[in-house]
This record gives sequence, structure tokens and C-alpha cells, in this order.
Amino acid sequence: MAAYEKKYVWSVLLRLFHWTFAPSIFILIVTGLYIHWPWTNTWLEGSHQFTMAVMRWIHFIAGMIFTCAVIARLYLWFFGNKYEKIWDFLPITARNVKNLFSTILYYAYLTDHHEERLGHNALAGTAYFFTILLAICQFITGLYLLYPENGFFVSLGSALFGTQQEARFIHYILNWYFAWFALVHIYIVIWNDIKHPEGLISSIFDGFKFAKKEQ
Amino acid sequence: MDRSLFMGGLPKTTSRRGFLRACAIATAAMGLPMEMVSKVAEAAEDPKRPRVVWLHFQECTGCSESLLRASHPDLANLILDLISLDYHETLMAAAGKQAEENLDKAVEEGNYLLVVEGGIPLKDGGIYCKIGGKTAVEILKKAAEKALAIIAIGTCAAYGGVQAAKPNPTGAVGVQDIIKDKPVINVPGCPPNPHNFLSTVLYYLTFKKLPPTDKFGRPLFAYGRKVHDHCERRPHFDEGRFAEQFGDVGHRLGFCLYKVGCKGPETYSNCPVIRFNDVEVWPVSVGNGCYGCTEPNFWDTMTPFHKRLPNVKIPGGKGIQASATEIGKAALGVTAAALAIHAGVGIAKKLATGSKSEE
Ligand code: HEM
Ligand code: SF4
Repeated sequence: MAAYEKKYVWSVLLRLFHWTFAPSIFILIVTGLYIHWPWTNTWLEGSHQFTMAVMRWIHFIAGMIFTCAVIARLYLWFFGNKYEKIWDFLPITARNVKNLFSTILYYAYLTDHHEERLGHNALAGTAYFFTILLAICQFITGLYLLYPENGFFVSLGSALFGTQQEARFIHYILNWYFAWFALVHIYIVIWNDIKHPEGLISSIFDGFKFAKKEQ
Repeated sequence: MDRSLFMGGLPKTTSRRGFLRACAIATAAMGLPMEMVSKVAEAAEDPKRPRVVWLHFQECTGCSESLLRASHPDLANLILDLISLDYHETLMAAAGKQAEENLDKAVEEGNYLLVVEGGIPLKDGGIYCKIGGKTAVEILKKAAEKALAIIAIGTCAAYGGVQAAKPNPTGAVGVQDIIKDKPVINVPGCPPNPHNFLSTVLYYLTFKKLPPTDKFGRPLFAYGRKVHDHCERRPHFDEGRFAEQFGDVGHRLGFCLYKVGCKGPETYSNCPVIRFNDVEVWPVSVGNGCYGCTEPNFWDTMTPFHKRLPNVKIPGGKGIQASATEIGKAALGVTAAALAIHAGVGIAKKLATGSKSEE
């Protein structure tokens, strides 16, 4: 039996990022879809419950937390630990490009070989990188929709995304990206956790992974 | 838009276009599908016009006025063309004894729609409202006997109205409190929207029965939903943007009137949708809150008119945008602090170990 040792991988700040980002996305999807399609409207009408207002309120608060979480992750791209920094997982080095392709083959069950590494593999890292970029788009469109009278958000939002309505459309389409991402992410994490003894899922709670002890 | 009233008074007849337009509005107001317009128009054109007896008791004639002086001549004409008005104190040519005879004759013949405008006093034998020596309650009971159905127009006829306000010195009540053996429908409002009256009449002509009502006897098609749920200022309510007092910046910017006393959150009526006077206005659109005039006893329950309703929760406490902004700023502060701690610990470690910590 191989010997394993505990390695500290995910800092407190990264775990805080994860546990504000993930639930806020869940809440944003649920409330966002309600805003998009307010299916209870005709039943709750005339009661003292302002359902749409409450849904939007929750959406905006979750949106604020989401935005802060993204800012924290952006900081960690540059000032985090070795595994959290952007160059550890983007396919911009020979090591990571190789890892990207081998991971794709591995996930497609085309090879059994895979590189043991403590941080993100290059495929996951690339996906996370684009997810953060899209999250930035999501919060800019969101803030543009939320503050239609604020000069800063209006000029930023309209320069990047066009009219309010176009921004809303992008905001809505990205909703489905985040829903898809959440499903795929959870599936792959469980898959990896079953295949490998490194303790992937527990690492996002306590920060530790397990690596084969180097003899 | 037909503005001929301002230029030259009521035209004598309704144009075909105006007639169909009014039928279409009424059909839409009743919540009927548009295919019904022809049915409604057919019923309205029936040469056997229903006879109508219109009684006035404790009232200000504002209901009749708003109907007839509506800047929509087509509507007033349509109503007058639609029905054969056998007795209406304000409109008929007859007066005095002759008028009373007209009423007796009409009541004798029966088979009419009875429209009642105004409250009916019951105290001291009903002596506080008498016409031709007879008390209002006597006249009403007699006229109701042979009526097909009764429409109580305005809040006074429906629930007693202003004279029924505390302490109700004359013991005024609405029609439904006196007449129990006839279908009574209430079209309340102070005044009610003429379209809602027209739609109720047309509904009756088209289907030969009164439309479904809520627990206060009001037709659901007109009074089924809250003013607040249809109001054009509702987004301002949700976002917490209010006129704090008349004439302030918020008022001039068209913000929600809840804090200056709007009763929209407790009032059932289609005012924001149907609007008034053919120039598409209603109280809130011209900067005054809803007084709740379609609700029973609104003189007691909705006053003071310019004080806010208790127990209405403004979403998010002070409005959802303001509240989310506050929470957002706090969250941003916490994030900045967390990043600062992270950076501080990193720098401290570096100083302590002399090399950059990897983990
Ligand atoms: C994963 C993140 C998010 C998801 C999945 C999401 C989802 C949605 C969806 C589906 C809608 C409805 C769009 C439509 O009208 O069809 C919406 C609306 C909106 N979202 Fe988001 N959203 C997210 C993040 C944010 C953020 C960060 C903010 C900014 C604080 C924000 C603010 C808004 C605003 C202001 C609206 C418009 C509400 C309205 O129409 O009144 N959202 N969102
Ligand atoms: S409180 Fe009055 S003005 Fe404000 S949204 Fe409701 S109905 Fe409109």
C-alpha cells in the first residue's frame, strides 16, 4: 500500500470564496428564473406577499455576495498560494498544455494515465478561468440592470453589452451557463473523488489533499 | 381621441365606429375574449331596449355626472341609446307631479333594470330622505318589487357612502342591506368608472344575468384585482422610491404615493387599467394617492386620506434596491478586510521566514 501525506492546498480565503460563490449561484439561478418566469403571480395576487419584489431582493443580495466572491477569486489569481495562482492551471506553460490534453483523454476514458497534481488540472483550471470571466460579465450586466441611473454602470454596461435589453438577454443566457457549469462541476468532482484517494471533496472543506508520499 | 366635447358639446348620435369601440372596450373590461365583441354589439343593438328606472337618494349626482359628462360622448350616448331610460330625475324633462306619475307607471309595468344612486337612510322611519312625500326606503322597496335586477351605482348605493360614515346620523345603508330577494350588483366608486357600469349593463344584456361578483357584490371583472397590482408606479414602490410629501422631489419625479396616503395596496378596482375621462388619467397618474373609494366604508377605514396605510411591508424594509445596495457595500467592506488580512498575513510570513510562503 502506498503511503500518503497530508498537504495543505486551499487557503481559507479560497474556501471562503468557494462557499460564498456556490450557494449564491444556486440562489441566483432559482430567483433569476423566477424573475424571468414569475409562475406564481396569479395565485399570490391580492395577498400581502409581494413575491416578485422579494425574489428580486434576494436575487440582488445574492448578487452582491456573488460579486464579492468573484473579486476575492480575482485577487487570489495573482496573490494566492501556488495552487491558486492563475499560471498554475492555465494552459500557458508546456506542462499545462500537456496536462490539458491528457486530462481530456483521461476524462473520455481513452487513457488511464493521468498526472498527479495537487492544484487544478489544466482542463478544470481553464473551465474555472472562463467561469470567472463569465461571472464578471454576469455581475456587470447585473449591476447595469440594477442601477439604470448610475453613470458608471451604465457607461460600462452599455460599452460592453449594448442596451439594457441586450444586457438582460446576455444575463439570461449566462444563467444557463451557470446552471450547466454547476451540474458538470458537481458530477466531475464526485467522479474524481471516487477514482482517486486524494480527498478532493473534503479539501474544499478543510483545505487538505492527500498526495503519495515521495520515497 | 374624440375631444369634440370641448369644442361643441355632446353629438346627438353615436357613430358606428364609436359604438363598436365602446363595445370593444366593454368586452375587454369584462374579461371576455374579443370574439365576443360582435355578441355584445348585437345585444347592445337589440331594438327591444331594456327599460331602466334610475332612482336617486342620498347622493351628490356625481355618479350620473361622471357618466354623462365623461369626455367620451360615445360612451354617454351608448348608454343612453342602449337603454330606455323611463325615469331619471336629473335627465328627464318631466318634473313634479308628472315625474312621480312616470315613475308609478314604469313601476306598474315592471320588467326593468333598476339602477340606484345614493344611500338610503333608515333611522327614524327613513324621514331623512323623502321625494314627493315618500321616504327613500319606501320608494326603493316598491321599485324593487317588479325589477329584473338591481344595479347599485356608486359607493353610496352600494354601502351607504359618505352619509353612512361615523356616526352615520341618518342611519344610511346600501341597497343590498334592504333588498334581499332580488339580484343586486354593486358598481362602487366615488364616482365609479362609467366603463364598469356600461360593462355591467352590457353583460346583463348579452348573457341575461348579472356577472360573477366578489364577497362585496362587485363584478369580478372590474374589482377582482388590487389597484396596487396594476399601478404604473408599482416599480417605485418595490424599489423604495417614494414621494415623502406633496411637492417634494420624489413627488415631482413621479415616485410611489404610498407614503402620502395612497390606499392602492388595500383597494380592489381596475382604475389603473380602465382609467377615466378618455384622457387616460386616474388619481395616481396625476399625483394623488388612491383614496380606496371602491371599498365598503372607505370614509371610515381609509381616512385620513393623506396618511399612510399601516401594516404594509415595503419590500426589503426601505425598498429592495436601497437595501441590496446597503448589503452590497457591507459585503464589499468585508471582502476588502478579508483581502487585507490575507495580504497582511502573507507579508508577515515573508518577513518572518525571509522567503515567500508557498502554502
Ligand atoms: C450566477 C449568477 C446569476 C444568475 C444565474 C442570474 C440570473 C438571472 C436571471 C435568469 C434573470 C432574469 C432575466 C430575465 O429577465 O429573463 C436575472 C435578472 C437580474 N439579475 Fe441576475 N443572475 C446572476 C447574477 C446577478 C448579479 C451578480 C446581479 C447584480 C447584483 C444580478 C442582478 C440582476 C438584475 C438587476 C436583474 C433584473 C431584474 C429585473 O428584471 O427586475 N444578477 N438574473
Ligand atoms: S402605493 Fe399607490 S402609488 Fe404606490 S404603487 Fe401602490 S397603488 Fe401605486
